[in-house]
Amino acid sequence: MGAYLLRRLPSALVVLAIASFGIFALVRMVPGDPVSTLAGPDASPEARAAIRADLGLDQPLVTQYVAWLGQLARGDFGTSYRIGGSVKDLVADGAVNTIVLTVTALLLAMAVALVCSVLAVVLDNRWVNATLSFGNTLAIALPTFVTGLVLILLFAVVFPVLPAGGTPPDGFLARPDLSVQYLLLPAVCLALGAGAALTRFLTESLRTELRQPYVTTARALGISRRRIVLTQALRNALPSAVTVLGIQFGTLLGGAVLVEAIFTWPGLGGLIEEAISGRDYPLVQVLLLLSVMVFVVIQLFTDVIHAWLDPRIRIGGAA
Amino acid sequence: MHDEPKGTDVTPPLLEVTDLGISFSHPRPAVRSVSVTVEEGEVVALVGESGSGKSMTARAVIGLLPDGAVATGSVRLRGEELLGLPEDQMIRYRGTRVAMVFQEPQTALNPVRTVGWQIGEALRAHGGVRGKAAKARAVELLREVEIPDPEERLGFYPHQLSGGQKQRVVLALALANEPDLLLADEPTTALDVTVQAEILALLRRIRDRTGTAILIITHNMGVVAHLADRVVVLRQGEVVEEASTRELFADPQHSYTRQLLDAVPRLPTPEERVHAVTVDDVPPVGTDAVAALEYDDVRVHYGSRMRGRVLPAVDGVTLRLERGQVLGLVGESGSGKTTLGRLAAGLVPLAGGTVRVGGEDLVRARGRRRADLRRRLAFVHQDPEASLDPRFSIAEAIREPLDVHGIGSRKERDARVAELLDAVRLPQSFLQRRPRELSGGQRQRVALARALTLDPQLLIADEPTSALDVSVQAEVLELFADLQRRLGFACVFISHDLAVVNKVADHVAVLRSGKVVELGPAARVFGAPSHDYTRQLLAAVPVPDPTVRDATGPALREQHIAS
Amino acid sequence: MSESLIDIAAPEAGSPGSPDDQFDHRRRPGIWTALRRGKGLAGLILIGVVVALGLLAPVLAPHSATEQIPGANLVGPSGAHWFGTDEVNRDIFSRTLYGIRTDLIVVFLAVPIGAAIGILVGLISSWWTFTDVVAQRLFDLVLAFPTLILAIALTAFVGPGLRTVFFVIVAVELPVFGRLTRTSVRTVREMPYVEAAHVVGAGSLWQLRRHVLPNSMEPLLVQLAVSMSVAVFVEGAMSFLGLGVRPPQPSLGSLIRDGVRNMYDAPFFAVGPLALVVALVLGLLLVSQALAEARRA
Repeated sequence: MGAYLLRRLPSALVVLAIASFGIFALVRMVPGDPVSTLAGPDASPEARAAIRADLGLDQPLVTQYVAWLGQLARGDFGTSYRIGGSVKDLVADGAVNTIVLTVTALLLAMAVALVCSVLAVVLDNRWVNATLSFGNTLAIALPTFVTGLVLILLFAVVFPVLPAGGTPPDGFLARPDLSVQYLLLPAVCLALGAGAALTRFLTESLRTELRQPYVTTARALGISRRRIVLTQALRNALPSAVTVLGIQFGTLLGGAVLVEAIFTWPGLGGLIEEAISGRDYPLVQVLLLLSVMVFVVIQLFTDVIHAWLDPRIRIGGAA
Repeated sequence: MHDEPKGTDVTPPLLEVTDLGISFSHPRPAVRSVSVTVEEGEVVALVGESGSGKSMTARAVIGLLPDGAVATGSVRLRGEELLGLPEDQMIRYRGTRVAMVFQEPQTALNPVRTVGWQIGEALRAHGGVRGKAAKARAVELLREVEIPDPEERLGFYPHQLSGGQKQRVVLALALANEPDLLLADEPTTALDVTVQAEILALLRRIRDRTGTAILIITHNMGVVAHLADRVVVLRQGEVVEEASTRELFADPQHSYTRQLLDAVPRLPTPEERVHAVTVDDVPPVGTDAVAALEYDDVRVHYGSRMRGRVLPAVDGVTLRLERGQVLGLVGESGSGKTTLGRLAAGLVPLAGGTVRVGGEDLVRARGRRRADLRRRLAFVHQDPEASLDPRFSIAEAIREPLDVHGIGSRKERDARVAELLDAVRLPQSFLQRRPRELSGGQRQRVALARALTLDPQLLIADEPTSALDVSVQAEVLELFADLQRRLGFACVFISHDLAVVNKVADHVAVLRSGKVVELGPAARVFGAPSHDYTRQLLAAVPVPDPTVRDATGPALREQHIAS
Repeated sequence: MSESLIDIAAPEAGSPGSPDDQFDHRRRPGIWTALRRGKGLAGLILIGVVVALGLLAPVLAPHSATEQIPGANLVGPSGAHWFGTDEVNRDIFSRTLYGIRTDLIVVFLAVPIGAAIGILVGLISSWWTFTDVVAQRLFDLVLAFPTLILAIALTAFVGPGLRTVFFVIVAVELPVFGRLTRTSVRTVREMPYVEAAHVVGAGSLWQLRRHVLPNSMEPLLVQLAVSMSVAVFVEGAMSFLGLGVRPPQPSLGSLIRDGVRNMYDAPFFAVGPLALVVALVLGLLLVSQALAEARRA
């Protein structure tokens, strides 16, 4: 297992390195100049030059890149051009919110997918299957912003039981019941698409497993269908489900941008938008790099778990 | 119908299937009317080809018919009616009173659970044995199926076991709850011939030891002769003949049974073996004739060097095949026979040595020359399902080699296609049909026709009849032999079935672990083998003659118990 | 058709008393029949309706997409304005119809282009091992990146607009189809009938053209329908975030965004476009499911 991890690590690091340089360079190629924005339209050339030197933008690209890496290593993420706080603080605040939202949505999606797919497969009832399939398709077909808006309309405007946006005022841990109220709508909205996709995949997966010869063997031994599903089919479907989960997590992070916009949830999504439109280099760099890092790590993670779950990969070959 | 005098008729037979009928939505029923009985401790063979309904009958007994099946008639186990029982009641019988093992050991076990867990699950399903007692019972079961180091094997995963060991574990699972009746659906078909012999012997020993009755479904008459007390022959969903094994083989009553027995390819009889020693080993043609195919110390590697796992698939083979001769390559799985054949077809990269087709090196030839050289080659694959492109019509499939090389006008090509279709004895009406409308045997003939389109010098046939029914196989082999005689192409015929090779090959090479172990004229190699391994292989083949069984008995391959 | 099956069941010519060769009795329903009933038909109808509305916009729309009607400010649905008007006095119904056209461009132009390029790249790269490995890594990288973040990044370079949406769709569909093609190529290439052709002298081009591509069509078609539904969603999301079409050009996504802006004053605003988006996406999804099920049968 450790060996497997070590083999995958170098390529992951290479990807990160390339991505970081790529992000750094590309961000600088974006049209628009932070100096102009900061200096204002009437600034003199000397003032501009001064600001430029101050921001270190007069150095060659590679020097700037190396300097940036050095800063990162020291834990200094730089200062935001526009908003003016330390990038670290800005990212940290937004990150907490986004993580809470995304993780909640992921857990919701997983739970729903597990329950629905197992029920569908164990009961194997035509009506249950048809209803689930229909609900599933609908959930996938409805775009996130649609469901978000509908949810707000229903539960915040028409029946004002839940807040229409924002985060709990004293943080998530102070008043858990309040946190749940704020978290509920955005998390459900975000979880819907991923949950539906997961359910569909898991149901398909379980059905495929039930068609495998080892299930016939189990049935011939007198093991009940329910037991086969829970103790064997599910276990067999797990490796590929984990991989799909990893992919869905990526989708969730992307969808979080949308959901944060709809529910005015102060997370990283909104931050990225602002940063790009304001040509806020330090912020953008760190945010994009963070995104890439998260994906690479998640991919690595799911790969390793997948390998661990499958004894054919975990243990070696035949006798 | 031949009937052995029954014992006391007071107790009902263990299994009594009466007038069973199974149908689906398709107009033709899978089983029309089948009646079979199995007494306690008996071994009954249910014999038939595809479409006979033998598998369905077994599945009906254990209640595992596919969705959409409608079953009529009666299935009684010790007098209790099983047909039509609801699932929750049927579950109680499965494993405890009647158990079933299937054909493919490779996929019959759950790949992510250990052997111990799976046996435990079989025990847990019927309550009672748990924990330490379950573990002890599991070890006991593994010992019963003669797996060495059973305690250690409990923690193994299926992929760590060999094919034969997997099948033993499957048997252990089936016997876990001590059923009265064991249904075995082609339990040895997917195994190597030596392993097959061991599993058959094991089945016999189990029956002798535990008194479990066995209903074995097979198309292999050798297996029947070796194992069964009584035989029931099925055809298209009906019982055609039923007799004790000896009587059936000695004096078959029904024409179909006779046909079936005739179609079975055989190895040399004892009389033939006497003459075999005198057959010349020296090839009759002088060395200045250009050989159809030459292997010169060839090596092929399996796995890539970059990964560090380099296993030799073919390890220094030197062979020579003359024009117009048929060379049979036999061996078990992993012997390298398939790789060697595919090497001649240019489908496998060469790691060392030279391969020459008609005197020319295929690997060294480039571009135009290589394409021209390939015109002399042809390949017939084992799998009739995938041997033809499902989107091509039969005519297009046969015509393809001509199209590839742009030979002749459209009319000339069509004429050639018609000619070939005739040669393989298929009607012209098949020209516009699609492969899915043809049966397996018909598809193999089309594949054969396609192979002969360019009048090849060398045909490589990779187990071309292994997936076909016995009688269909006999026809296709006869067709093949006839064509080979008439057209005079050289052929490399790969097969794990020694009897089949005996029927078509002039010379035989026996392979083992990538090396040639024995080489010579077929009559000599099969009649008077000089190498031990060849003798082992020949001894392991179940002979379709029940009188031979008692002579050789269960004394087979004791040193191979572990495999 | 059943006649021919029974015909085959009879003994073959030239071989009397031929025994039972079992073959596949079920004729797999063609992929086109799947579209003629059930889910497939429902999906096609939904798509058809939306497409028709968009194509017939010039005929059906009472006003142009940018025409401002004096005095009609945030009017609710009425006889004159079926969907009402927006805050700059434009007829929402007309804007919606023209907005469909934007989506149609994205769905029926951008996706096929991305698919075509992806298929080509997939075909070529998967034939040789080295290019295959490189291509697959690249595909994995792009695929793992959430589409919306990619969209935001791209917008930063190219600026918002329909062109950007186009690029994003093409960029996302490329690896999807590339990878699908690659799987297909690898599977079909192993098939005995391709090997038989290879042995006899058929080159790579021949194998690709005559065997691999035709046999890969079905999964690609299914994916096409799925990708189209995703494309509608992406356009909607991008326009909603302000990254898509620029005003005053209408698209379903931007209309929904405008609707959200005015949600408290005029809740009716976004309903029409929303319904159409859902209809289009649902229709495409249903078609893809029907095709997928037909293949599995």
